[in-house]
Amino acid sequence: MLARVGTGAALAFVLALGAFGLLARGGAAPAPTPKPGAGPQLPPPSALTDRRISALQAIVRVRPGVAEGYVLLAGAYAQKVRENGDAGLYTRAAGLLRRALQLQPGDPGALTQRSALELSRHDFRAALGDARRARRAAPDADAPFGVLVDALVELGRYGAAGRALQAMVDRKPDLAAYARVSYWRELHGDLAGARRAMALALSAGGDTSENGAAVQALLSHIDLVRGDVGRAGHEARAALFAFPGLPGADAALARVELARGRAQPAIARLRRLVARLPLPEYLTLLGESEMAAGERGAGRRDLATVRAERRLLAAAGVDTDAEMAIFEADHGSPRRALALARRAWAAAPSIRSADALGWALTRSGRPRAGWRWARRALALGSRDPLLLAHAGLAARASGARAQSRGLLPAGAVLRPFSPSLAREVAR
Amino acid sequence: MRKLSVLVAASLAAVTAGVVAVVPGSGSSHREAPLTALDPTADDTDVYAFTAPDAPHALTVVANWIPFEDPAGGPNFYRFDDRADYYVNVDNTGDGRYDVRYRFNFKTRVRNKNSFLYALPGVTSLNDPELNVRQTYKITRLSYRGGRLTGARVIARNLPVAPDNVGPKTFPDYDPVAARAIRPLAGRGKVFAGQVDDPFFVDLGTTFDALNIRNGTGNAGGGKDDLAGYNVHSIVLQVPEPAVTRNHRPVASPRAANAVVGVWSSTDRHRLRVTGGRGHRRVRHADVQVSRLGNPLVNEVIIPLGRKDFFNATQPADDLKHFGKYVLSPELAKVMNVLFPGLNVPEDNRTDIVQALLTGIPGLTRIAPKAPPTDTLKINLGTPPTATPNRFGAIGGDTGGFPNGRRLGDDVVDISLRVVGGFLKGNKLPLGDGVDANDVPFRAAFPYVAPPHAGFDSQLKRVEPQHPPTPADPSQG
Repeated sequence: MLARVGTGAALAFVLALGAFGLLARGGAAPAPTPKPGAGPQLPPPSALTDRRISALQAIVRVRPGVAEGYVLLAGAYAQKVRENGDAGLYTRAAGLLRRALQLQPGDPGALTQRSALELSRHDFRAALGDARRARRAAPDADAPFGVLVDALVELGRYGAAGRALQAMVDRKPDLAAYARVSYWRELHGDLAGARRAMALALSAGGDTSENGAAVQALLSHIDLVRGDVGRAGHEARAALFAFPGLPGADAALARVELARGRAQPAIARLRRLVARLPLPEYLTLLGESEMAAGERGAGRRDLATVRAERRLLAAAGVDTDAEMAIFEADHGSPRRALALARRAWAAAPSIRSADALGWALTRSGRPRAGWRWARRALALGSRDPLLLAHAGLAARASGARAQSRGLLPAGAVLRPFSPSLAREVAR
Repeated sequence: MRKLSVLVAASLAAVTAGVVAVVPGSGSSHREAPLTALDPTADDTDVYAFTAPDAPHALTVVANWIPFEDPAGGPNFYRFDDRADYYVNVDNTGDGRYDVRYRFNFKTRVRNKNSFLYALPGVTSLNDPELNVRQTYKITRLSYRGGRLTGARVIARNLPVAPDNVGPKTFPDYDPVAARAIRPLAGRGKVFAGQVDDPFFVDLGTTFDALNIRNGTGNAGGGKDDLAGYNVHSIVLQVPEPAVTRNHRPVASPRAANAVVGVWSSTDRHRLRVTGGRGHRRVRHADVQVSRLGNPLVNEVIIPLGRKDFFNATQPADDLKHFGKYVLSPELAKVMNVLFPGLNVPEDNRTDIVQALLTGIPGLTRIAPKAPPTDTLKINLGTPPTATPNRFGAIGGDTGGFPNGRRLGDDVVDISLRVVGGFLKGNKLPLGDGVDANDVPFRAAFPYVAPPHAGFDSQLKRVEPQHPPTPADPSQG
């Protein structure tokens, strides 16, 4: 009892400082120099996360025996990765969570955070296990629902995910719940419903300006898939205004530019983006955009970088099998693609993995098998342009011409997601 | 209470629950929606209910949301959630169910949809074209009998929200612009909604560093107000007594049967059916309560970490069933004894706290003779307002203050520390956090709360000047 009370007080201390590390201004970030005529200069929003990290590091040094300090710091690192994509921080976050769970075995906060980390590393089964343990340890708490839903979705268990998500939104409708409702609807092809739910998430807002901006970038994505390029551009620019430099928003705006056929500004934007954050997804988009624009040398160089980045992510514990399978199928070796896709399917039998496997089969010269898997990928009703293009091309290669025509998305819709495939479809 | 609520609860939510922000990163392409633990736009942070000296026959309620607004928090600034329902609730029968509710619904209007700016320089009125983002709201008054809805009426619509005080270049003279957001209600009421100074004051550093008080036992000043300089979004509502009393009549005296009402704020959000269909439409039971607040400190000090989400989702009428045991044996009392072994704080059977906060003090704040324990802020509307309030309220001999309602200047942190310390059971301890007052003066007239700090020159934190110790029994001061 005594120890528990002591921990409570120390914990409160950690929390107080933690929250103030988040919120207090001044200190770490140098005052920005105002530029005449440029309007008010604002510190980059990510400075808040940096300050929070240093405050929590100080707390962990002063109170090394308090588990919550490690959990909060791991959460701050994860937030930092959201903002700058430095996956190396995952390794540090994992170490912190290990320490927290040694100090406080079964702590629901630590389990939830570890589940979030496992999701980021695409270890979905581990994430599901930790989410369930956190649920059992804190049945009245809402937070474990988010990671539970994400893990179920990524493992392809859409029915169970929908039920958990309904429970989540019944208990606490907020940004986290609304954004997940939106994604679930998007996966099922209900784009109008997805947009409505995401608009609720945006209106609700979150803990940080990054949360709101991230949601607005997702809104841009939905609009783009729906073919509403104007609105998609507005949402992406609004997200960048709210959180300058947010990678997801920058990528969203580049896609809008690609949809409008403005390849050069899109390429310039993507080059700036991958210079900061060379994720395989962005590098692939850049390389394909360059190839499509006739800059074949630059395109080949950027595409060649994807494998190196994948190795870096692997070193940080991130499993990229499903997306690398697509990359290998399009730009590398179909044989490697098939091996990666099989592994992805075994790890997480989701529509994403089915799509990867189907596309790898199609590219390996087995379009009939590819077409079967593509239909599985579309079983929920997804309107994802890449999934539709893969299915359509598989159908075309298997001789199902009529079905192919019904599936292949219009160039303007497909181009922002894969300029190479858009050209291939057009042929 | 709130601030504590944000810290503890938010972050406690964090702990039980999941961390200030359980955030997946973005190593690659699977969808990673944010996982938020804080929900500022729906976070009821504080409720005040008092009889204002300039409106002695009316109930005045200040209800606050969106904690820790940094005045320089651009570029987006702060606003109420257009899609949430904000409530001020009144229980006048003592059963913990609302008999009267005022619902506030907001609508954001953007003048120039191609601009993301909040405002351009030189805003001089609420309708100024340079004010790009504006909010308006409507108020619906709902009445109930025995928990059943008996009437709903829109009593005002299209009222303006006072804008965020971005700074002197945007608002050359902010206060007169914001004053235009004070609006009359039919039947001699008044209302205001918008950004104001956060009226709460507390030294969080001492309170949460294991009650590591800076100066003496916290009764001699010297504390650092960690909320100084922050803003909050406030709804201030003033309605004549008959609008909220049980028999719809004015209150004749403090002993009148209709004198006491219980007040709390709450926030609902729309539920969705995941599978779409008509889930986005407003249907019965389509809303979920995501936050509530009555007495300061109950959510933080009394409700244990793992149950805070549940507390926020439940109604005061069920408080005894769900949370009674935590009030009778408050964790804070145990913490105090562990940290300061000589204090002899009573740990169990704290019926004194139950009565002060939840059932009401007979003859002062008890709504009805057999009223069950409910976490509502109980105010006796018959108590005449005093010209010389004591920040210790009732335990300072000033029965017009907390826990008889709560005035803006009531020092609820010091009061709570002393009450949990056993004041009402004769164990009078000279405890406090060393912060005695708000960082800026409150206004004498509606809306009473102080204007918001401006973004341009905001200063955070303030230190309370040291002063001679207050006695353990503040009424003897």
